[in-house]
Amino acid sequence: MSDAASDVLRKLTIVFTEFEGRLEQTPLIRKLTRGRFALEDYQAFLIQLRQQVKDGALWMSRAASNIDDAHLELRSTLMRHAVTEHRDFRLLEADFIATGGAAETIRSAEKNIGSEALSAWMFHEASKPNPFGLLGAMWIIEGLGSIKAQEWGRRVKDTLALPDDAVRFLLYHGENDAAHIEEFKEMLAMVLPDAAIAARIVKTAQVTARLYALQIEEILP
Amino acid sequence: MRALRDGYIVGTGVFLPGEPVGNDAMEDHLGRIEGRDSLFGKKALRWNGVESRHYAMRPDGSVTHTLAQMSAEAVRTALDAAGLDRRDLSMLATAATQGDYLVPGHASGVHAELGAGALEVASFQSVCGSSLMAAKSAWLSVRAGEHDVAAACAGEFSSRWFRPSFYEGTALVDAKGRLRAEADFLRFTLSDGAGAIVVEPKPRPGALKINFIDIVSLADRFDPCMWAGASVETRADMTNAWAHLGPRAAHEAGAMALLQDFELLKKVIRAWVGAYLQKVDEGRIAPAEVDHCLVHYSAKSLRAEIVSLLENTAGMVPEEKWFSVLREIGNVGSASIWVMLDRLVRSGRVQPGQKILCVVPESGRALVGFMMLEAV
Repeated sequence: MSDAASDVLRKLTIVFTEFEGRLEQTPLIRKLTRGRFALEDYQAFLIQLRQQVKDGALWMSRAASNIDDAHLELRSTLMRHAVTEHRDFRLLEADFIATGGAAETIRSAEKNIGSEALSAWMFHEASKPNPFGLLGAMWIIEGLGSIKAQEWGRRVKDTLALPDDAVRFLLYHGENDAAHIEEFKEMLAMVLPDAAIAARIVKTAQVTARLYALQIEEILP
Repeated sequence: MRALRDGYIVGTGVFLPGEPVGNDAMEDHLGRIEGRDSLFGKKALRWNGVESRHYAMRPDGSVTHTLAQMSAEAVRTALDAAGLDRRDLSMLATAATQGDYLVPGHASGVHAELGAGALEVASFQSVCGSSLMAAKSAWLSVRAGEHDVAAACAGEFSSRWFRPSFYEGTALVDAKGRLRAEADFLRFTLSDGAGAIVVEPKPRPGALKINFIDIVSLADRFDPCMWAGASVETRADMTNAWAHLGPRAAHEAGAMALLQDFELLKKVIRAWVGAYLQKVDEGRIAPAEVDHCLVHYSAKSLRAEIVSLLENTAGMVPEEKWFSVLREIGNVGSASIWVMLDRLVRSGRVQPGQKILCVVPESGRALVGFMMLEAV
């Protein structure tokens, strides 16, 4: 692996561990880790997750449409990601319904302040030509899938004594960590070395992490 | 204002009580909960990779040394190695997870055993990281010109916590007599001993200049991960800590035992890696310049998890430069880093100009310390 890619991965790992530390301090995750999570907390969590999962495939498609002919392989990768993920919010809705919630409730719920900011940021970045900084956003969001989702899912299931089919998104959505890092390294190799792009990837990861945490903070303000 | 001086480690010392105790004999030594073999012990030993350790407690529960005695012995050995006498010492900083008394501080106990005349003392109590807190205190005292000979010691008498009476009749043992994994893993992991260093402002042959000691606490984001004094369920609420419950109720609640949360440990490990990579990113630690890497990892399996992450991020010190005594001497908590350093120095492997990176993670409430040494 190139030095440029290692440097970016190091900075991104630092951003992710800081992000994880910030999430641990949010009232919602504190309740989860301390065994005080209630069904309403889980439902509120699913409602906000749905917002950004639904948007995820959309901003990824938009980003792909803004990638030039010199980076076709990266464009293909983003398009494949978007296809894989664009129906995932239905899984979240099904989980919500399995907890006893109404489909109409989760479908009509509003984004919270953090979700609004996160969504606006993602579409804004994806609308730029060659929006390679979004690799940083993918690092954060896919990192949640591969590192945090199962841990949270098991906690939710145990604390609330829910059946598997109410926690499918968290328990089964995440891919394994090793595969996640390998694919990410391949994407980095498509745009690096380039100091400006490297810096933008890290910055985009920082902003995405902060806004994601804001979304979680706002669930139990 | 007087300029800061450099501080050099001019001697190291270790005290390990009694004969090595192998894996087959350790449960005879510690005792069996409700008279039964541990279900978890063999798994814990596979996980931590320890094959031999020392205990300051005999199988009958009698004690060969107090922690203060072990620590004082390590200081004497370190002074010897430095060609100094205990009367040369003017400052003593001690580290321990838990001293012999609750009150007063451990340094007073070590000083009482050491003799050496009136001294300045400082007691540092945490977990493994307390070693570097004490070392930093000793080093800065020399650096500031307050003292010309300062010692830092660290020691553990973990085995006394592991006797069956600490668990039996508590919420940590279920109706079938099985001890919770949170408690059992540590019984098969930690052992006894002490280590010490002596710091002076002048180099001598074989001395190690202390380039920096950085300690990073991440307690703002995590609940206790390795602790004693609160039950598993109520540990985040300090109003339920042992002193509030009272000794009898605290014991029954399982609050008077050393405990480890494995689920949380995974997160804490990532946070340690983040703190380390931050040092690399800032240029404070340059992995390529490190000649010997001493990492106090508590279990062999933890090392494997960390290595692949470091390799991806240009943070890895090549494995052939790592030095560990975990397998032969076990995990002596705060003392481990000095045991490793002592064995490395006495192996003759350290050449002038070489750099030694010491990393001391403490799962307690997520802390990690870094020390960079440079051989004179």
